[in-house]
Amino acid sequence: MEKEDQLTEQESLKLISEMISKAKGSYVTKGIASIVWGILIVVCSLLTWAQVQFRFSLGFDVWLLVLGAVIPQVFFSIKEKRQKNYVGHDEQSMRYLWATFGICIFILSFYNMHFGDEHSTTLYMMLYGIPTFITGGIFRFRPMIYGGLICWILSVASVFTPFSVDMLFMAACGLFAWLIPGIILWRKYLVQKTSDV
Amino acid sequence: MFDELDPIMHSQLRLAVMSLLISVKEADFTFLRDKTNSTAGNLSVQVNKLKDAGYIDVTKQFRNNYPLTVCKITRKGIESFENYVKALKSYMNPETLN
Repeated sequence: MEKEDQLTEQESLKLISEMISKAKGSYVTKGIASIVWGILIVVCSLLTWAQVQFRFSLGFDVWLLVLGAVIPQVFFSIKEKRQKNYVGHDEQSMRYLWATFGICIFILSFYNMHFGDEHSTTLYMMLYGIPTFITGGIFRFRPMIYGGLICWILSVASVFTPFSVDMLFMAACGLFAWLIPGIILWRKYLVQKTSDV
Repeated sequence: MFDELDPIMHSQLRLAVMSLLISVKEADFTFLRDKTNSTAGNLSVQVNKLKDAGYIDVTKQFRNNYPLTVCKITRKGIESFENYVKALKSYMNPETLN
């Protein structure tokens, strides 16, 4: 595009369509956050399940690992933001959505510290489904839509199951809502990176 | 009657820049240069023309001590882009004209 060429109407429409596709093609996230949180939820849930099932104690609350993940999450977010040379229309909404989710999880955990957490797995899984389903819907990313739905189905099912089974459900939520979609996003990112070279 | 095509918009590189900027909230100069495969000099000239027409906002910032030019489409730019597409369609499908 070196010259200030005049275009025919067909060429103009083709160019508009091509540029909009190129811009849309840039909306590729690495999915690192999704993978990290997915692994954490799966590991913490399975360790909790194992402790209940095989009657042993690790000596500390494994869910504290989740708090430890916040630091690398902030680091990767800032790094990714600095590397990006555009801001998409939906990014701000996404930030507010996931911040709302984080705050709600924190409030629920705070509530559980005071009133006990025997039956709160249902509520956690319900909360997991909300941002996952909305994100999947906005970006038309089916793995996250299905992940959100799975969280809600397991949330309802957990009303009828004991705590140890709830932990397996929770692991399934982490797997289907974040880990698998995150791996799919990572693979897409690698494919795009290869095709850009 | 056919709508007249906006001469500011009806140029290859300026139209490409407007199409990219309508798809994102904002973008920096390197994003526009990479996506349009243009040279920095030519892109700079066309970006200034769009800025002078009031179609885009251009802000100069610094990131990691490097200068950064961020472009964002304005409301006037969005309206002009929509009118341009509407005019194009009227050329393509004259029977749709009232």
